[in-house]
Amino acid sequence: MPYLGSEDTVRELRRSLSNPNVQSDQLRYRNTILKVIRAMSQGVDVSGLFSEMVKACATVDIVQKKLVYVFLCSYATLNPELSLLVINTLRKDCQDPNPMVRSLALRNMTNLRLTSLVEYVEQPLTAGLRDRAACVRRVAVLGWAKLHNLQPNSEIDAAVVNELYTLLRDPDPVVMVNCLRALEEILKEEGGVAINKPITHHLLNRLKESDVWGQCEVLKILQRYRPQSEDELFDILSLLDASLVSPHPPVMAATLSLFLGLCSGLPAVSLAALERVRGPLLAACGSVSREMRFTALCHIQLLLRSIPGLMGAHYKRFFCGYAEPAYIKQRKMQVLVELVNDENVAMLLDELKGYCTDVNTDTAQAAISAIGRIGRSYSDRCLEILTGLLGLKQEHITSAVVQTMRDLVWVCPQCSDTVCVALEGCEETLQDSQGRQALLWLLAVYGERISSAPYTLEVFIDGVRSEASLGVKMELLTTTMRLFLCRPAETQDMLGRLLHYCIEEETDMCVRDQALLYYRLLHCGIEETQKVLQGRRSDPSLGVLIGRPAESISQWACSFNTLKPLRQSTIESASRGSPEHVTFDPKPNTDLSNTLNCSQIEKLHSVSDSTSECTDSSADVLTSSVAAPLSLSLTPALSPEEFERLWLQQQVLHVEQGAEKLEKEEDYVFLVERIRCPVIVHCSPQSLQAAMQLVNIQTLAFTPLHTLPWRVYLYTHTQHAQCGGASHSTLIVGELLYTGEANQRVVVVKKCMDNGNVEGRQEEQVEEEATATGLSGRGSVRRYGEEEEVKVTLKQQPRDSKALKGFLSILTTVLHTLSSERT
Amino acid sequence: MSASAIFVLDLKGKVLICRNYKGDVNMAEIDHFLPLLMQHEEEGLLCPVLSRGNVHFMWIKHSNLYLVATTNKNSNASLVYSFLYKLVEVFTEYFKELEEESIQDNFVVVYELLDELMDFGFPQTTDSKILQEYITQEGAKLEVAKSKVPTTVTNAVSWRSEGIKYKKNEVFIDVIESINVLVNANGSVMSSDIVGSIKLKTMLSGMPELRLGLNDRVLFALTGRDKGKTVVMEDVKFHQCVRLSRFDSDRTISFIPPDGESELMSYRINTHVKPLIWIESVIEKFSHSRVEIMVKAKGQFKKQSVANNVEVRVPVPSDADSPKFKTSTGQAKYVPEKNMVVWTIKSFPGGKEFLMRAHFGLPSVENNELEGKPPITVKFEIPYFTVSGIQVRYMKIIEKSGYQALPWVRYITQSGDYQLRTNV
Repeated sequence: MPYLGSEDTVRELRRSLSNPNVQSDQLRYRNTILKVIRAMSQGVDVSGLFSEMVKACATVDIVQKKLVYVFLCSYATLNPELSLLVINTLRKDCQDPNPMVRSLALRNMTNLRLTSLVEYVEQPLTAGLRDRAACVRRVAVLGWAKLHNLQPNSEIDAAVVNELYTLLRDPDPVVMVNCLRALEEILKEEGGVAINKPITHHLLNRLKESDVWGQCEVLKILQRYRPQSEDELFDILSLLDASLVSPHPPVMAATLSLFLGLCSGLPAVSLAALERVRGPLLAACGSVSREMRFTALCHIQLLLRSIPGLMGAHYKRFFCGYAEPAYIKQRKMQVLVELVNDENVAMLLDELKGYCTDVNTDTAQAAISAIGRIGRSYSDRCLEILTGLLGLKQEHITSAVVQTMRDLVWVCPQCSDTVCVALEGCEETLQDSQGRQALLWLLAVYGERISSAPYTLEVFIDGVRSEASLGVKMELLTTTMRLFLCRPAETQDMLGRLLHYCIEEETDMCVRDQALLYYRLLHCGIEETQKVLQGRRSDPSLGVLIGRPAESISQWACSFNTLKPLRQSTIESASRGSPEHVTFDPKPNTDLSNTLNCSQIEKLHSVSDSTSECTDSSADVLTSSVAAPLSLSLTPALSPEEFERLWLQQQVLHVEQGAEKLEKEEDYVFLVERIRCPVIVHCSPQSLQAAMQLVNIQTLAFTPLHTLPWRVYLYTHTQHAQCGGASHSTLIVGELLYTGEANQRVVVVKKCMDNGNVEGRQEEQVEEEATATGLSGRGSVRRYGEEEEVKVTLKQQPRDSKALKGFLSILTTVLHTLSSERT
Repeated sequence: MSASAIFVLDLKGKVLICRNYKGDVNMAEIDHFLPLLMQHEEEGLLCPVLSRGNVHFMWIKHSNLYLVATTNKNSNASLVYSFLYKLVEVFTEYFKELEEESIQDNFVVVYELLDELMDFGFPQTTDSKILQEYITQEGAKLEVAKSKVPTTVTNAVSWRSEGIKYKKNEVFIDVIESINVLVNANGSVMSSDIVGSIKLKTMLSGMPELRLGLNDRVLFALTGRDKGKTVVMEDVKFHQCVRLSRFDSDRTISFIPPDGESELMSYRINTHVKPLIWIESVIEKFSHSRVEIMVKAKGQFKKQSVANNVEVRVPVPSDADSPKFKTSTGQAKYVPEKNMVVWTIKSFPGGKEFLMRAHFGLPSVENNELEGKPPITVKFEIPYFTVSGIQVRYMKIIEKSGYQALPWVRYITQSGDYQLRTNV
């Protein structure tokens, strides 16, 4: 084959294309054209043959025409001038008696994508809209959409739009649906095709005539319609009922989406609809195509966020087949974790146990962490399985088990005895840094109970020179320090060696600085060291808080049946550090992020979704106490610097409430409230933070325990969940203050415009800064002698009293919950 | 929906054929597809949607091809996958096998089809029966002015052309049920269901009007009859020719059939079925020396029925060697490339029990790689029998010309995803 050089090929082809003998012999001519197209498909640049190919399109042979058009459409943008020559042939074809030829010509005319040709295309397109043959009308209708897409800023021809609206009543269902699609494209700026009552009813009545694609399109567009009366709404719903259980998953999903949109004010109806789609959804989970199965699973996960019990009885449908791809298995396990209850727990764990030895290490690790998640409610059974897995002495399994145990122990400290026993001897099998970090963390926290802890540590310290992972070194330093505090005699020597190595020989600055810090800390005396190192302990109340409240459907309804649920993927395994590191982590606690939904995933992926949809990233907790569907969100993260700037600026404004600031005053509201909540100060910072994060309030910084005055700085974003439309969002920055002697706490919260896509940075530094600067001379703090009363001050910008009240009630509930747990 | 472009790639990621429908995603983006796929696979994060910047690739794999749709919108995922599978379906009906070679040999038709299937990112004519009316492979063999207007494109009955003639008017009805079973290692049935389909081969003249009667429980309840066995069907899916409105109102299945072969309907029955072929297995692995396998198969169906071409596939360790077999019936064969023993029984009467013993040697140096625990799978086919008990009660054929036509019915039960887990 002469494909060595594309130039030769092109030259060869050109010669035969322009050979009159070839041109006169139709068969040879077509074969030559075939060769050109083949070369084009193979990636040879044949754009040089454009003028020869233009000549070839004047033929009666329809196949040859199609081939030439394929060529021309691919290279037209490179040869705008020469393309002008084609237009004549195309326009002539539009007059052809054969409707196939007419539609072909029209389609390719618009596929050339050349603005210079628009004036020649408009006339045939207009004629095409009135063509007798439906296949021509189909093409013509979409042709207008293409034309508009080519020149998005051009003026919209009202006559064409009117004609398209008329064609919605075309007898051909595809023409009807294409009209919808075209109008959506052309009227994008105005929010798409106008959906009024007559159009809605017309579309609904003809829904059955369309194919699957058309039905989905119609159902999607109908989401914008708001029925005028309740009777009309229920008429529509009953009309759609058959589609809701359609055996075609896309139609079923589109119908459900429409249902949820229509019934956003009727939660009972929405729930009934979700119950109704259970069957079809489960069927989709068993569909032959694995992609469809995957899609169905992702959507089931969405549904479970609102109705955790929806699939409870059908848990067996989520058992994994041997040959299923890893992504399906992992999703299925995520679903299984949600479905666990007293009846099925034994069966479910048995099944999950089988997956732990899967050949695919990721699947195995996902299974192990799934067991860990179940362990939060059924710890004994799960620990038994996890301990058993350690006996296999498999590297990746042991690593996953140790990490899972670490995470489990953090929320269920009562498991620690079993874990301590299980840990003995597993350091030999651990290879990867994640697993060893987890082991070190466990040794640090439960060092006094694990007899072999110093020996294990010694092995690590002896090998520190060859240690590659930064994380392990840092963890090792902390662990040795902590172990030194509880078992000084056994650890003193090795701590000395480790510190010496890290300070004198280590090249990594992070490790060296950490070591220096600890070294200097030790100089301050053992008590100080203890205060710093053993400050953070896991709190039993975490286990209570971890339970996830059901979300309202509106939280996810707008992303239902799109690409998004598929993209909110497995963050679980991604970079998890020790649980206590969360305080310094701008993202939510890794443990909690699983139980919350994916606000951090959101942050990673939201860039990619170009359509404007409301972010459903927030955990809408305690909706019952909020009148409007208000939700809080942590994204975009607010950096400490930004926080400080906003805080101070607001404060200045507040202090000089001069008349000249009046217009600026309009922008925000300042509110002082008192909350009765005793003993909240004695609640550990971790629990407070965890509780706040559960409702998506980020605590930015706080003073240490038992220090007075006690302060917490926090922020959040409020959002009105509005499907389809842009959500109205604001930023709240605030402070909790407890002044000690007077036994009162003041909460000052400010709210201002959300202007930030400011990325979060390390928030450690701000702790001091914020406390130092934030509190100088606040005039608003009112003192109250009463012991159990706490004052809350809220500020808001722009005014939105509903959101403010909503936020306040959420905050109140959290504080109450925390203090009631304490007493 | 809105797919911006559709690509067909070979396993190396080279574009075999592509079609740019919207022009809003750079066609060169596809070069990143395979590297992205590899990277995700390595990280264990492979997923049917891959993204790079704001371009999303939605892909499926079919034999040695990747079919990829690109989009930069937050489009409806299930619809895009449905479309990609529709492509596979249409191409398969055209070329029998859809693979790299058939794409390359038929690229003209593929271009034509891609042109008709989708326009501006929206699916248009996707019914392969209709497409076959005006896009034919013979087109490539040059018949000048092959310009017959396909009436079906605009026809009210889009799936059947007018003027079809047969000397002998017949219709063949196949009722095929496949059983999916998952049995745990301890012998308990984890899940089971039946997926049925009714296939037609229509050889009827003109525009006949057909009515199919089944022993559908809902229908019987509607008409007040409750004699004999009835079945409850779930997720009933019909060919577009069936008048859904009539089915919804009075459960009548009435339709004008497409000519030739077609699938009239499919359904699922979610009852607890007894696994028709029960397998008990004992697999003993003596490290460094041998594996001993004992498999007992029992036919748990009526004595009058016979299962044909039964294949019991038993997994063996990948490093096993020197196989020895003993069977009470049929033949056992070692398939080393799939690491399994295939035990074939040509005919397996109901109620009977058969036994197979296998013995393998194991190398003294143990394979360190972790091996999965593949289940035992069974393949079989039982003619003249349906597990669910579904029956065609009648098939009425009415045509204007009033000819007599014969309906023929055939029942087959076969294995679907039939897995029994093992202990080893």
